[in-house]
Amino acid sequence: MRGEKMMVRLLISQEWLRRNMTTVGSIVAAIAIIAGFQVINPFFLRYQGIITLVYAMSYFLIAACGLTFVIMMGSFDFSVVSLLKLAALICVLYIDKLGLLVIPLALLICVGFGFINGLLFAKFKVPSFMATLGVSVVVEGIALYLSKGFLHIMYDETFRALAITFIAGLPSIFYWAMGVWIICTFIAICMPFGRRTYAVGGNPIGAGLSGINVERHRICVFMLSSFFAGLAGVLYMAQLGGGSMLIGKDMTIPLFASVVAGGTALTGGVGGPHRTLLGVIIITWIQAGMLMLAIGRDIQMVTFGLIALGMSIVTIDRRRIKIIK
Amino acid sequence: MKIPGRKKLIPPVIIQTLKTHPVIIVLITLFMMFSSLYPERFLTPLNFSTILKQFVTLTLFALGPSIVVVTGSLDLSYVGIWMLGGILVWLLMPILGMFSILVIPLLGLATGFLIGVIQVKAKIPSFILTLSLLVTYSGLTATLSGGYPRPVRGYEFITARLIRYLPTAFLWSIPIIIAAVFIIKRTRIGTYLYAIGSNEEGARLAGINVDKYKILAFTLSGLFTGIGSIILFQHLGGATPVELNLNNLVWPLVAIVLGGTPLIGGSGGPQRTILGALTFTVFYRGLLLSLLHPQAIQLLVGLLLIVSIVVGTRGLKGVTIT
Repeated sequence: MRGEKMMVRLLISQEWLRRNMTTVGSIVAAIAIIAGFQVINPFFLRYQGIITLVYAMSYFLIAACGLTFVIMMGSFDFSVVSLLKLAALICVLYIDKLGLLVIPLALLICVGFGFINGLLFAKFKVPSFMATLGVSVVVEGIALYLSKGFLHIMYDETFRALAITFIAGLPSIFYWAMGVWIICTFIAICMPFGRRTYAVGGNPIGAGLSGINVERHRICVFMLSSFFAGLAGVLYMAQLGGGSMLIGKDMTIPLFASVVAGGTALTGGVGGPHRTLLGVIIITWIQAGMLMLAIGRDIQMVTFGLIALGMSIVTIDRRRIKIIK
Repeated sequence: MKIPGRKKLIPPVIIQTLKTHPVIIVLITLFMMFSSLYPERFLTPLNFSTILKQFVTLTLFALGPSIVVVTGSLDLSYVGIWMLGGILVWLLMPILGMFSILVIPLLGLATGFLIGVIQVKAKIPSFILTLSLLVTYSGLTATLSGGYPRPVRGYEFITARLIRYLPTAFLWSIPIIIAAVFIIKRTRIGTYLYAIGSNEEGARLAGINVDKYKILAFTLSGLFTGIGSIILFQHLGGATPVELNLNNLVWPLVAIVLGGTPLIGGSGGPQRTILGALTFTVFYRGLLLSLLHPQAIQLLVGLLLIVSIVVGTRGLKGVTIT
């Protein structure tokens, strides 16, 4: 009798472990990474090191939260990095003329491009990857046209204070990122919008039959993703204090890897922004740790490519899908 | 009752061709437009030679992926194969001598096979799989090369000029193009790939070994990219860049989509990609000669990509997209 109970408990715990494998795996990976870097480099978790880590992860988390909604829906948004760049450049170029009004302007432009993304995807039935790739080429063109390829410096102190005011020992961009993360988690878990996103990601046809306006919802999700990309760009510019076309270079794959490493599968319908925090911590802290050890960008790219590959293999639920393109 | 004396203005063969390849109309329109706007710059032998050179570059990049696009998947690894292959040639040159150029097709073959196996067994969407691999390859390229482009001498004979104004790389690309079109149009493999692209479940029920043919499609794509990269390697100066450029990635995709291969799969193929590449090259050269702002050209290229995808996928009802 007792043995049976033990067996049942063991089975339940195994079932629990299997179901939550991605979460447990992410936590284990994060702890292993922190411990590893701390052993190699004792400055990793000193105050100065933590400031570096926070700066590295904050803007990343904002952009990744937006991308998570799109991946949750089973689509992909290639244009996040380009929109981040465009928003940052708009801020630095027009701050003299418009003052702080550039922030709503940049966000509005980003949301507009998000609307175009969603329109191409939902109405014109273009695969989301190609639609957003096309839009991102246009956005890169606009950013290059506006910035003329030069480096621009942000002189406005009120704008910069958005990100680099220290509150309780940490820069304010950290609180922005945490706020965005909490709002995104709230939207995904407690609000109809988030539940609909899960439904559309799990089964678009079923979601349509149960009364969700799938097309409109897809457009809204792309607009949300672009909005957060723009917000990340604005705050990143405030953090950096200047930038050129090189902002966000090679950021696409780490961004994608951080969403997937958190446990949001590419097939859609599972995961969520609450998991993305772990993924962002894993990815950006690897990046920052490697930078502190003076490991170059090329090896980082190899690492992130392999992480993206490995994590997408691990997270995808292969029982549910029959055909994958 | 036949109306006597009425001649057909356009032979039906041409109408049929135009219906299946509407991009020809675009090509002729663009050509007429540019040659009437500034004939002194556009209608020169030098410009035509440049158009051919650029056409070769685009076609050799886009041929392999267009085989994969027929099955409805996407293969973005071509730039990676080209970059890593070039650096491997430089590394292996002291050991293998002239034979080291063969490492590029071998790399292409191995990459294609690897992508195919992972895609079929692990069921990852192919675009993100190949994109991750591409980034990995470009990182490897930068690591192995130490961050500098490494020129390799000794292969100049591949693109030595035979005929004036006619790039030798163009002559080389003709047999490759013919081989790709032959495989997709005249062999069983091609037919099966079209079947998989239009309805994978149906193809499986009809007894086609879908997994095997999907792996084969990716392998063929890698192989064609590899063989093309031998020519491209010398054609573009005997060295490959170590920095990933978005244009290298996007332009072949524009050529594929512009040619009329919808990304959903089931139709199109390399024969249309050639037309797409030619149209895109004429478009690009025409804009470049038009004294427009260079940054505006990139904008127009992006718009062209969007418009051609939208036009290419119109009327495909009942397709689930992701």
